[in-house]
Amino acid sequence: MKRHVLIASLLVLLALAFTACTETKDFDTTKNISIVAREDGSGTKTAFMELIGLKDKADPANVIIQNGTAGVLSEVRGNPTAVAYESLGYVTSDVKTLKVEGVEATAANIKSGSYKISRPLSVVYLESVLDTEANKAFYTYLQSSDAQKIIADEGYVSVTDNAPAYAANSALTGAVEISGSTSLQPLMIKLASAFEKLQANVKVTVSGGGSGTGYKNANEGVSTFGMISEEFNLSKAPECTHYVVCKDGIAVIVNEKNPLDNISMDQLKNIYDVEAGANSITKWDGIIK
Amino acid sequence: MNVNRTFRFIVARDHIMRGVFLFCAVFSIFALGCIIVFLFASGLPFIGKIGPGNFFGTEWNLHTGAYGILSMIVASLYVTALSTLFGITIGLFTAISLYRFCPPRAVAFIRQLINLLAGIPSVIYGLFGLIIIVPFLRDTISPSGVGYGILAASFVLSVMILPTIVSVSLDALNAVPKNYYEGSLALGATKEQTVFKVMLPAAKSGVFAAVVLSIGRAIGETMAVILVIGNSPVMPTSLFQSVRTLTANIALGALELSGDALTALISTGVMLFVFTLLLNISFSLLMGGEKRGKKRAAKPAS
Repeated sequence: MKRHVLIASLLVLLALAFTACTETKDFDTTKNISIVAREDGSGTKTAFMELIGLKDKADPANVIIQNGTAGVLSEVRGNPTAVAYESLGYVTSDVKTLKVEGVEATAANIKSGSYKISRPLSVVYLESVLDTEANKAFYTYLQSSDAQKIIADEGYVSVTDNAPAYAANSALTGAVEISGSTSLQPLMIKLASAFEKLQANVKVTVSGGGSGTGYKNANEGVSTFGMISEEFNLSKAPECTHYVVCKDGIAVIVNEKNPLDNISMDQLKNIYDVEAGANSITKWDGIIK
Repeated sequence: MNVNRTFRFIVARDHIMRGVFLFCAVFSIFALGCIIVFLFASGLPFIGKIGPGNFFGTEWNLHTGAYGILSMIVASLYVTALSTLFGITIGLFTAISLYRFCPPRAVAFIRQLINLLAGIPSVIYGLFGLIIIVPFLRDTISPSGVGYGILAASFVLSVMILPTIVSVSLDALNAVPKNYYEGSLALGATKEQTVFKVMLPAAKSGVFAAVVLSIGRAIGETMAVILVIGNSPVMPTSLFQSVRTLTANIALGALELSGDALTALISTGVMLFVFTLLLNISFSLLMGGEKRGKKRAAKPAS
């Protein structure tokens, strides 16, 4: 008798699990928009808010804050009503990238300036770190044609034209530590492993943390280079100087089920503006007519 | 001469070892002292500088210098209260059923499993919440279409505090003298009446201890909460709304912020420390009061 109850309850649990997994719904435009943002200190956030004209404003009330690029992506992937901003180089094909003002987010459109939401991705460093051979070599590599090719292949926008090829020095040994922006991190990992192939005895370690971490670690000498994904702000790392590795678009992404294709800057602003008042867009039917 | 040297050696060794043990004994006090000094030395002047009105306000915007943590205090309290409520309800009944209503072999097995629950790292609880509970709430019962929030965090936390509640209250029940149980049965009470009306009241102080311990765990938990609560620094008005707790506030910014913003996080830590301190004090008062009460009750008999 007891065993029957146990089996029955297990079956019910299983059934629940399956319905939860297989449930597919049409897109419901009357639902609230789940606005996804990044934590304070994120370069993507600083850049995005500045670019859509909301510099230094707080997030809208019901924002969901994810502290990392991957967290944002997984939220949009799983949540049908989500909207988020994300480094273009990081966006995967299982979410939908919106056109902004009718312009697609591509490297060409970013370079020409017709795609409005883009920012530089940079490394910040203390001048003195370049005195070390291995650091200097990696810095030179970032400016080389080898690096520019990887930058372009990964969908970022190279800003260095006619770069020279990198000349490897087989005698070089050392270690380079890089940390900071999670937007620049995936590209930097690619660059680092390509560099390690050329310079087998130099170890390059890349870790995340966000742009705030990048500034902090570079300024305090914790890392050789700090990665940032916003315009260089000297007050955040007073001892440092910076080098722009490439330009990157900030994509506006929604769930695949969302029928929307295009969004205007005004609409974006009214979604993310905490002080939009009557203009504030909180439901999808405010955009999808 | 030789004997004298050996003797001196032994005396010296005793002195050294006494010093080593003394050092070990005061080390934890020293660590506590350091943390308190660190928190208050940088946290309190900051609260003074921005003014308590700002600090206990509701607006948090690092760009404009608004460091109000009231909404986070409220969110922390909500999450703690709700998760303790869930946890106590489930945990206490679990303990009761393990106490007298389960076959002994099953009891050992279930206790093992519950203890295993205590060993799971909190980030795993958070991940589970993020991937299973948040979407489930979002797609089923949430009226606003948001799965993040106080309810999701409370669900996750209530499971996390279960082991504490179950083992502490089960131990308390087991510590009640057996003759209470037998006496009650002999007077004609049923097993259920005995457990709920005799044993449970007798184990009251242990159950309170379980409550206080789990409140402590719930208010301090960070990683599991950060993943499922949404982290928006606004005043909670609904169970399904992105809010931020004190611990989440600290963890979100600690690695990235600097200057005043970082100091604001330390001040948040001061708040959290004060809460924990109050909790500990009330716990000792509770336990002390219980002991005194027992002594008083024992006196007339002797």
